[in-house]
Amino acid sequence: MNKSLAEKFYYYMKLGREFELRAKEEYMKGNIGGFLHLAIGEEGTHVGAILGFGNGEFFVHYRDHVYAIARGIPTKFLMAELFGKITGISKGKGGSMHFYSSSFNFYGGNAIVGAHIPHAVGLAYAKKYLGKSDGVMVAFGDGATNSGNFYESLNLAAVYQVPLLFFCENNNYAIGTRIDRVSAFKDLYKKAKDYMPAVQVDGMDVFEVYKAVSLAKEYIQQEGKPYFIEALTYRYEPHSMSDSGDYRSARELKLAQERDPIDNLLKKALKEGLLTKEFVEEVDKKVEMEIEEAVEFAINSKEPDLEELYKDIFCED
Amino acid sequence: MDYEITMPKLTDTMETGVIVRWLKNEGDYVKKNEQIVEIETEKAIQEVPTFKEGILKKILVEEGEEVEVGKPIAILEITKEVPVKTEEKNISEISKEIPKVQEQSQTVEEKITTEIPEEPPKVQEQTQTAKGALASPYAKKLSADFGLVLKELQEKGEIPSPAHEKDVREYIYSKYIDRDTLEDLKQYNLNIDKLITDLQGNLSKENIYRYIKKNNIYKLVDISIFQRRLIEHLSKSAVVPTFHIYETIYLKHIMDNKRFTITTYILKVFGDVMQNHYRTRIYYDNGKYRIYPSSNISVAIAIDEELFSPVIKNIEDKSLNDIQQQLQIFREKAQNRKFDPEDFEGGTFSISNLGMFGIDMFDAIMPYNHSGIAAIGVEKEDYVKIVFSFDHRIINGKDAALFVKELKERFYDIEYIKSLN
Amino acid sequence: MLYRDALKKAMDDLMEIDDTIVLLGEDIGFYGGNYRVTDGLFAKYGEKRVIDTPIAENSIVGNAIGMALGGLRPIAEIMTSNFSLLAYDQIVNHLAKIRYMSGGDLCIPLTIRMPQGVAKQLAAQHSQSFERIFASIPGLKVFTASDSITAYYGLKQAILSDDPVIFLEHILLYSQDFPFYEIDNFDITKQRVIKNGENITLVSYLKMLHDSLQAVKEVEKVLGITVEVIELTSLSPLNLDLVYESVKKTKRLVVVSEEPKTGSFTSEIITKVMENCFYYLDGPPLRITAEDTPISYNRNLELFSIPTPDKIATKIINWGREHGL
Repeated sequence: MNKSLAEKFYYYMKLGREFELRAKEEYMKGNIGGFLHLAIGEEGTHVGAILGFGNGEFFVHYRDHVYAIARGIPTKFLMAELFGKITGISKGKGGSMHFYSSSFNFYGGNAIVGAHIPHAVGLAYAKKYLGKSDGVMVAFGDGATNSGNFYESLNLAAVYQVPLLFFCENNNYAIGTRIDRVSAFKDLYKKAKDYMPAVQVDGMDVFEVYKAVSLAKEYIQQEGKPYFIEALTYRYEPHSMSDSGDYRSARELKLAQERDPIDNLLKKALKEGLLTKEFVEEVDKKVEMEIEEAVEFAINSKEPDLEELYKDIFCED
Repeated sequence: MDYEITMPKLTDTMETGVIVRWLKNEGDYVKKNEQIVEIETEKAIQEVPTFKEGILKKILVEEGEEVEVGKPIAILEITKEVPVKTEEKNISEISKEIPKVQEQSQTVEEKITTEIPEEPPKVQEQTQTAKGALASPYAKKLSADFGLVLKELQEKGEIPSPAHEKDVREYIYSKYIDRDTLEDLKQYNLNIDKLITDLQGNLSKENIYRYIKKNNIYKLVDISIFQRRLIEHLSKSAVVPTFHIYETIYLKHIMDNKRFTITTYILKVFGDVMQNHYRTRIYYDNGKYRIYPSSNISVAIAIDEELFSPVIKNIEDKSLNDIQQQLQIFREKAQNRKFDPEDFEGGTFSISNLGMFGIDMFDAIMPYNHSGIAAIGVEKEDYVKIVFSFDHRIINGKDAALFVKELKERFYDIEYIKSLN
Repeated sequence: MLYRDALKKAMDDLMEIDDTIVLLGEDIGFYGGNYRVTDGLFAKYGEKRVIDTPIAENSIVGNAIGMALGGLRPIAEIMTSNFSLLAYDQIVNHLAKIRYMSGGDLCIPLTIRMPQGVAKQLAAQHSQSFERIFASIPGLKVFTASDSITAYYGLKQAILSDDPVIFLEHILLYSQDFPFYEIDNFDITKQRVIKNGENITLVSYLKMLHDSLQAVKEVEKVLGITVEVIELTSLSPLNLDLVYESVKKTKRLVVVSEEPKTGSFTSEIITKVMENCFYYLDGPPLRITAEDTPISYNRNLELFSIPTPDKIATKIINWGREHGL
C-alpha cells in the first residue's frame, strides 16, 4: 500500500459510507422510495474490488451504490437516481437497484439474484472475440452461489475460456438466512476451485481485497481465463430498508463493527504515515460538501416528463 | 345408423356437381334406389338414387350449390321403419308455407324518412335509436344511419332479432325498391346504398334503370357449369393443328325424295362413308388413338343459350328413321337438360348445321379429340356448302380428301340415296 | 425455397458481411442444428462464431445478452419454445428491461429464434406455443415467420434490429417449400394481406395461417362468400391497421391460433378490434384455438385438441350461419 492508494481508499470508502447514510436519511424522510439496499460495512470489499480491477467491464447486483461511487460516477447522478429524477444515472427509471453507465463500463445494478452472472460471461466472450479485452468482473453475493446461474456460468466461463473475474462478496446472509444453513459449503470459493483458480480474502481489509483483485486481473488478462475470489465481509444494515434485521444478534454485529473497514484503514494508514489527520479532515469536509451538493442537485432536478414512460423501451421507435 | 350420401362421380371427367333440386325433403322416407336428387354435371342433369333405405335426416348441400365429388351432400338415417307422420312434423312443414312475417308486412306502408343523413349520426344517437334492440353493432349503426327505430321494427316483426346488417339492409331496400327490381339489381355491379342516395326521392323502376344505363353499370352473371366446361373444351381445341377442306355437295337426289330432315340424310351418308375411312373413326386419347369400329357422330344441338353435342352411334346400321328418332330424343333431352353420360361418349366426328338458319357457309370448331367436323350450310338450288375441319394429328390431307371425295360421290349416287329411304 | 434454407440464408448473408454476428445454441454447430437450420455454418464460420452451448437455455440467453452488451450481434437458437421457459427470467427480467432500466443507455441487439407449435405426437412438453407470453412483455419485439419470405426478410430485419427480437418459427414448416422472390422495402411490422375478400376477415400466422387458407376455400364455397386473410408477421409491435381496415369492410372477424384458448393472443387481437371497430361488427368475433388442455401424445387426442383445416372450416361455417352470413 502506498500513500496515493491509501488516500483513494479512504476517499471512496468515506464517500460511499456518507452517501449511504444520507440515502438512509432521505429514505426515512420519504424522498427515496422502493427498495434501498445499503452496503455500510462492506466498503472495503466494494472499493477494494473496483480499484483493484481498474478498467474493464463490471457487472453487479442490486447493492450497487458503493461500487458505482468507486467507479467514479459522480454522486449527484446517483443521488438523483435514488430520488427518481430525470438527471439520475438511469433517468430515474432504474432507482437504487439499477445504476447503469456504459461510459463507466458499469453494467448494473441487477435485481435478480445471480442472473447477471451469465451476462458477464457473454460480455467477456464478446470482448475476447473482438480482441479488445481489459477483462470483465462480476460481483455477486453469497446467496447467488446457490443458484443455477452461478454454476452454469462457472462451467461456461471455463469452457469458453473467457477473461472473467468472479467476485463473491460473502456477507454471510442471503437476506435473512445465514449462508451455512442453505449452502453445502461454508467456504464458497470451494464451489469454484475445480473450474478455475479460486481464493478467499478478508473483505473487511480494503488493501487485502485490492491486492487479491489486482493479481486476479493480471491473471485473467494474461491467461485469458476466469478467476474466482471470495471476499468475507459484513453488512451492518439489514438486507434492505424494509428488513428488520432481527435474524442476527447484536453481538455478531458488534464483532463485525469492531473490524470496520474504514476504521481499519485509518488505524493502519495513520500509523504507517500513509494518511495524515489533516488529509482525513479535509476529505471528510469534502465528502460532506459533495453529499450535500448531490442531495441539492437531486432535489432541484426535474421529475421525468410523463412521456418518458414510453421512451427507452426500444432503440428503434 | 347414419349414412353419408356423397356427391357421386357421374362421368369420367366429373370433378364437381351442382345440386339442382332435392326430390326429397328432410324427414322423408326413401327406398333403396329411389331418386332423391337432381345433379348437374358438366355434361348433363341427372337424377341420382340412394343406395340405402332410410330417412333423409339432413340435407347438407342446398340447391344451386356446387360441391366436389366425394363430399357429403346429405345424411341418411338407415332404418327399415317407415316413420308415421306426426302432428309436429306437419306443423313444421306448414310453417314453411306460411310467408314470413317480414314478407307479409311488405304491403303495409311504413312511414320512414326518405331523407338520408349526410353524416353518420354520432354514437349517442345510434345508441338512442337502437336502444333495447338486439342487433349487431353494425346493424345498429346502419339503422341509425337510415333513421330506423330498430326496436320498434323488431317488435312489429319487420326486422328479425337479433338483427344483422343483411336484415336491416333488406328492410331498407324493400322500403325504397320493389322486390323484383331489387332482386334484379343484385346482379349489377352496383352500390345500392349509393343508388338510393343518388336518386333521392325518385326510386321508380324506370328511374333506376335509366340511372343504370346512364352510368353504364354492367350486369355480372355467373357462367353455367355447362358453359364453363364448353369454354374449357373449346379453348383446348384451339391448339389442335387443323386444316380445312371447302366443298359443295349435290343434294338434288335427296331433295327429290326428301322424307326426312337434311341433317338426317347427311348423318346417314357420313356414317356410311366413315366405314370406309377408319381415320375418321379415331378418337385422340392423350397420345394414343382409339379406333372405333362403328360410325359415331356428334351432332350440335343448341337449346336456349346452351350447346350440347350428343353422339349418334352405329349410324351405318341405323335407318334414316332410326336416326331421326334418335335426334328427336336428343332434342327432348336437351330441352330438359337431362342427358345420360353415355350420350356424350364414343364420338369421333362432328356435324354442325347452321344451314337451317340460312347461313351459306361457315367454319366450326372441332372437339379436341375428334378427327374432324363438318359445318353444313344452307341448301340452295340443290347444293349445300360444307366446310370440313380435320385434326392433322389424326388424319392427313390425302386421307381427308379421299373421305370427302367419296362423300361427294355418294350424294351423286341416285341408287344409293334412293336405297336409304 | 425451403423454409429452413430461407432462415439459414438470412443468417449466412448477414454473417458474410458482419463479423459481429455470432450464433449460439444447443447442437447448432458441429451437429448442424436439430432442425438443420444452421447446417453448414459451423464449417463456414468456425466454432467461435457458431457456438455450441450446453443444454442450459438460461445461459444461452444470459450469455447472448452479455455478448450483445459487449458489441456483438448474437442470434440465439432455443431448440423449441418449450425450453424457452428455462430462459424466461433472462428474457423477461433482463433482455426486455435492461435498456429501460438503464434509461436508454444500453442496447441489446439480440435475436432469439425458436420453433413452436404442435408437430406430431411430441406430447405436452414439446408441443406448446407461447406467443401470448412473449408478445405481452414490453421491451420485446415478436416476429413470426410463416413462409420463406418472412423467414428470410423477417429474420434479417430481426438480426439487423438493435432491439431484442423473439423470432417465432413453426416446427412443421421447416421442410416446407415456399415460393421465394425478391422484395424491396420489406417491413415485417406492417403485417401482410395474403388474400383479398369481402365478407370475413381472417387473421392468423405460422402454421395456422396455412391451415386457415385451406379451410377458407371450403368456407367460401359453402357460404358463397369471400374471406380476406391477413397474416400477422409482427405480434409486437402489434400494428393492426390492416385488420381494422379489413374489418370495417367485411364486418366480421375470425382469429386462428394454435395456443390454448384462454388468454391466447387471439384475445388481444379481438379486443383491439372491438376497441377500434365495434360499430362496424355485424356479428361476434370468432376465436379458433387449441383446447384448454395440455397436448396429448395420442394422435387422435392431439388432433382433437388443435385446429385443423376441416375444423376451422366447420367452425367458421357454423358461426357464419348462426350470425347472419
